[in-house]
Amino acid sequence: MRLFLGQRAWVLQRVTALVLLILLALGAATLLTGPSLSYGSWHALATSTHGAVLIVVFFAALCLHGWIGVRDIVLDYIHAPALRLPLLALVAVILFAIFIRVVLTMAAHFAGGG
Amino acid sequence: MRARSAGAPKFLNLSQIRFPIGAIASIGHRLSGVLLMVSLPLLALALDRSLRSEPEFAALRDLVSAPWRALLLVILVWAAAHHLFAGVRHLLADIGVGSRLAQARTSAWAVIVAAGIIALAAALRWLS
Amino acid sequence: MRVSIYRFNPETDTKPRMQDYDVAPEAGDKKLLDVLMRLKTMDDSLSFRRSCREGVCGSDAMNINGRNGLACLTSLQGMKEPVVLRPLPGFPVIRDLIVDMTQFFAHYHSIKPYLINNEALPERERVQSPAEREKLNGLYECILCACCSAFCPSFWWNPDKFIGPAGLLQAYRFISDSRDTATAERLAYLDDVYRLYRCRTIMNCTEVCPKGLSPSHAIERIRLALVRESS
Ligand code: SF4
Ligand code: SF4
Ligand code: FES
Repeated sequence: MRLFLGQRAWVLQRVTALVLLILLALGAATLLTGPSLSYGSWHALATSTHGAVLIVVFFAALCLHGWIGVRDIVLDYIHAPALRLPLLALVAVILFAIFIRVVLTMAAHFAGGG
Repeated sequence: MRARSAGAPKFLNLSQIRFPIGAIASIGHRLSGVLLMVSLPLLALALDRSLRSEPEFAALRDLVSAPWRALLLVILVWAAAHHLFAGVRHLLADIGVGSRLAQARTSAWAVIVAAGIIALAAALRWLS
Repeated sequence: MRVSIYRFNPETDTKPRMQDYDVAPEAGDKKLLDVLMRLKTMDDSLSFRRSCREGVCGSDAMNINGRNGLACLTSLQGMKEPVVLRPLPGFPVIRDLIVDMTQFFAHYHSIKPYLINNEALPERERVQSPAEREKLNGLYECILCACCSAFCPSFWWNPDKFIGPAGLLQAYRFISDSRDTATAERLAYLDDVYRLYRCRTIMNCTEVCPKGLSPSHAIERIRLALVRESS
């Protein structure tokens, strides 16, 4: 089994980049065309079904994209296996935790906000 | 492989190497990526806060009132802008758009300058 | 003109040093290599490789004022002084400006730089159409000078695992060859985080290629070919 894949990571990095670009453009368009953001309007937007889904997708793409980036940096600069593997594991755990945290946040407000 | 030069010196003093503009844009891409990664937990936190209550949402808007936080924010704005522009440049180059040397040099300059201008605008707005 | 040169003699030195030379170029001296040859007559301990003195053999690649290039193709005109000469970055130094190319050539051999074709031998030759031949332009001209690989940050960090721009350009030269039937195997060999995917399209390679070739473009085409292959 190959521990690190070549093309798969490269494609994933680009696909997540595209997802992030599209969502950022969507967000920017909403901000620029709508009225200025208040707590009420932001809360309503973020807790609507597609708002919540898009936020979760955004963070998922962000975490995956970041994972590949960090992994590349580690592969380039950090060669000692004793350092490399724990570091990669740590980053993976942190990114996963951040993603879970975002899901929990959205779930809490989704239920609470209706 | 064992080369006869095992233990030989290597010249790799980066300060004595003249980097082309594309390399500088690329180092910026990496650096900005690291900055954005480091601030990712803060972004997740900000999302949570912004949804909690009216005052916490307002507090986020007032983040820039402290100059050191405003400065951090300006740096992050630079990082986001540079990473985004450099990323789009790479995505286009991947499919063969602007991957010729002359165009790639111009677009590397454009990325660096555009990100700089955006950071400057943010600084003028929040730091003065 | 003042020339500052990286000196290292493994028999007497423990670490490299810079040595300054003052030399007056003469009327016929047009290229940096001419000055180096003149210096060699002044100080015969000074070591560097050279052969063809016209950009064909690829042996006098070095770091010239912070950029890699061939001494024989570098014009003296308009050169910034002092001219600082160092060996190719990231390569083990054997002596002065001479570096060990063992690993560089090992990468070159790893991509099987020869035609593979197991079909029955034709009567006379494997014919190529002009259009097919055209595809090899910009690829076959490489002189393996290593200017590109020795200017590639990705190659500096992983010189043992990343094939590097020179090797990848040659890999693409055989992938593009209509007479070669091993395209799929060649692509499969390259699909690896290290061999191919250490490249981050910095384009330092293309910046310094003295033959005006574009390894970064070849790498871009290999990646796209791999995407096509797997979809
Ligand atoms: S691609 Fe250019 S720089 Fe690289 S080895 Fe070939 S001729 Fe030299
Ligand atoms: S484009 Fe790729 S191969 Fe060329 S210098 Fe950059 S990282 Fe190296
Ligand atoms: S001496 Fe042959 S390439 Fe310069």
